[in-house]
Amino acid sequence: MRQTFDYLRPTSIEEALRLGAEPGARFIAGGTDLMVRLKEGAEQAGTLVSLRSVPGLSGVEESADGALRIGAATPLAEIEGSALLAGRYPALARACSTVGSVQIRGVATLGGNLCNASPTADTLPALLVYGAEVEVEGAQGARRVALDEFVTGPGETVLGASELVVALRLAAPPPGRRSLFEKFGRTALDLALVNLALALELEEGIVRRPLLAAGAVAPTPLRLRAVEEAIDGRLLDDALLDEAAGLARREVTPIDDLRASADYRRHLTAVLVRRGLEQLARGCAT
Amino acid sequence: MCDVTRQELTFILNGEEVTAAVSGSDLLIDVLRRDLGALGTKDGCGKGRCGACTVLVDGVPVNACLYPAPEVQGRSIVTIEGLAGAGGTLSPVQRAFVERGGIQCGFCSPGMILSVQALLERDPVPSDAAISEALVGNLCRCTGYKQIFDSVRRAAELLAQGGGDRG
Repeated sequence: MRQTFDYLRPTSIEEALRLGAEPGARFIAGGTDLMVRLKEGAEQAGTLVSLRSVPGLSGVEESADGALRIGAATPLAEIEGSALLAGRYPALARACSTVGSVQIRGVATLGGNLCNASPTADTLPALLVYGAEVEVEGAQGARRVALDEFVTGPGETVLGASELVVALRLAAPPPGRRSLFEKFGRTALDLALVNLALALELEEGIVRRPLLAAGAVAPTPLRLRAVEEAIDGRLLDDALLDEAAGLARREVTPIDDLRASADYRRHLTAVLVRRGLEQLARGCAT
Repeated sequence: MCDVTRQELTFILNGEEVTAAVSGSDLLIDVLRRDLGALGTKDGCGKGRCGACTVLVDGVPVNACLYPAPEVQGRSIVTIEGLAGAGGTLSPVQRAFVERGGIQCGFCSPGMILSVQALLERDPVPSDAAISEALVGNLCRCTGYKQIFDSVRRAAELLAQGGGDRG
């Protein structure tokens, strides 16, 4: 027997917040994860409050300060195809394009991927290396939260019961910034065994301001700070690639599960870090 | 939880306006198969992985098994029943699947063909990589992928030759 629930389609953020604060209410955006969990009985809901018809929650735009603003209810397919991402945020475009299938990406949203807070979420490492900020609105007003602080555990975020993510903001990267996203999964449709985003600048072969973030290797997407500190300001040569890969292997804290062993995930992290840095050194950002 | 409000939906199904009374927990596949008798859309895994339930919503392929029915209000849905022309003339994509053996047991075919329809509308001459990417979400349980790829290439040829007014 499937669960039964009401389905409401508010047409303003205020109305959505009011309906979402009622007992038993859950927000739904694309619903590609939530519907499966409701069907399986892993979650319950008395009312689903849809965010699809709320104006101002979807679309990709450039702000006056040059930052990129992505509405939380924007489908991943629209983000992946946006010309605003193409040159400057290749890791996020690539990450969006590797989530699920065409059918999933046509409806699944960036805000949904964020708020599900899955350790394997593909978009989160990319958002981390772009220093994304989360725009939140709630009954008590609006606030901005750094992505580093937003996800607190598997499926857990700092979002309050009467709060809603309205958008993600990505500051304009400085000229010469290079970035990419790598994912290793069993099949194209499968969850990542490990995913990784990297961003850095290179000045005559010297690494500047590197940021690395990996997914599926810890309870939350993980910044590889030991790797970042070790490679900042140093010549990106073979020896440094070996050192970075070794540090990455030790920095992650993966678990054994049905998809892969912890040892294999450590190995994959090292491989992806080495491969990603090599690709950025060659200048081919993907 | 049993006192659930029903809502009246009006949307376009294969070019014709239809109405249906649904509950909030109904999915698009329920409306199609149970209420409207459109049985071409198949109910496979129910989790958005096999793609047998793929339909087009405003031209975008979606898994009808996960798509909330109330969201189709005012939208245009195309199912496999909507592709053939007057008198049952097969569309170019359907014809290509028949010609190249892309249909075996047939269970994946409606979803597969709708995914290909959407692919060729945005990319009329797809590379093998693009075909593969477009069909990641459609599983063929007969594993007849070689013939399906052949069918996609044939469909692209038929469309390029002006093979059908129904594009």
